[in-house]
Amino acid sequence: MERNPMRRQLAIMRQSLFDQGHVDEQFVQLEELQDDANPNFVEEVVTLYYRDSARIILNIEQALERKPFDFRKLDAYMHQFKGSSSSIGAKKVKAESTLFREYCKSGNGEGCMRSFQQLKKEYATLRKKLGAYFQLARQAGPVETASRPK
Amino acid sequence: MAPTLPSNDQASDQDNWDNGRLARKRQLLTEIVLRNRLTALVVDGDTTCRVLEQLLLRSYGVQTQGVDNGRDAVAFIASGVKFDLIIIDMILPVLNGLEATRQIRDMGVHCKMLGVTVCSGESERQAFLAAGVDVFIEKPLDPEHLVPILRELDGQLFVESGPLVMYW
Repeated sequence: MERNPMRRQLAIMRQSLFDQGHVDEQFVQLEELQDDANPNFVEEVVTLYYRDSARIILNIEQALERKPFDFRKLDAYMHQFKGSSSSIGAKKVKAESTLFREYCKSGNGEGCMRSFQQLKKEYATLRKKLGAYFQLARQAGPVETASRPK
Repeated sequence: MAPTLPSNDQASDQDNWDNGRLARKRQLLTEIVLRNRLTALVVDGDTTCRVLEQLLLRSYGVQTQGVDNGRDAVAFIASGVKFDLIIIDMILPVLNGLEATRQIRDMGVHCKMLGVTVCSGESERQAFLAAGVDVFIEKPLDPEHLVPILRELDGQLFVESGPLVMYW
């Protein structure tokens, strides 16, 4: 059984991700898919997310530089971004995505820009926090798995 | 709601949490021991979503294929490949999910289709159902929605034709 301080610190860090609203239940679902054969699965998926979503963020930035705003295109980009963010349990990022889409639907360009700035902040904060979490997880090593008595 | 650690005896609670999580995973997997080898097509333009949906399906023993746009999904089905389940997003590159769904249904395909997408309101939900999906699920796809559907498909295969025969 694991009782080392590093694993304890990892558990606290993990709990704070939930308590501070950065991730939701979907993050737990990702953890459920992680096993001995794929011990870094969650980190790999999050890495994939940040790699792919960077392109969408860039598309939105470029679209917000063009006037008048194409709200349909902006909404379509954010639709994809929201789906991707929700799939990794990025709770605050997802909430800002929803707000952005509401501004798109009401044709509120200022709202879109404000919301997008906040979204990028949450996106960056989450990346930093998850990065620190995964780094500690790698240092702590894998959890000893329970085995059923024979 | 995310599980939380109780405050007393933190070290053993961590162990209990890890063991409990493993037990829950085993329970999820054993709850759905499929009698038949189900197949699914996942149509999603977003790589993260598509990969995760395929992995979730595979964790239940479902064989999956993935495509990233509506046109390829239609072409795949038109080529004669059969699936027990199609999971499709609404907004897709090249050919959107609504039109892809209509074209797939127009080909006479009757398999279960799940519209798994970011929800924007009742009108979008109704539009996707009208296009031909059987079930509308808001992203992310989760076991609570998926498991009953897989059980239903597995049961249909077992009752209609016995094991190892596709339902179409």
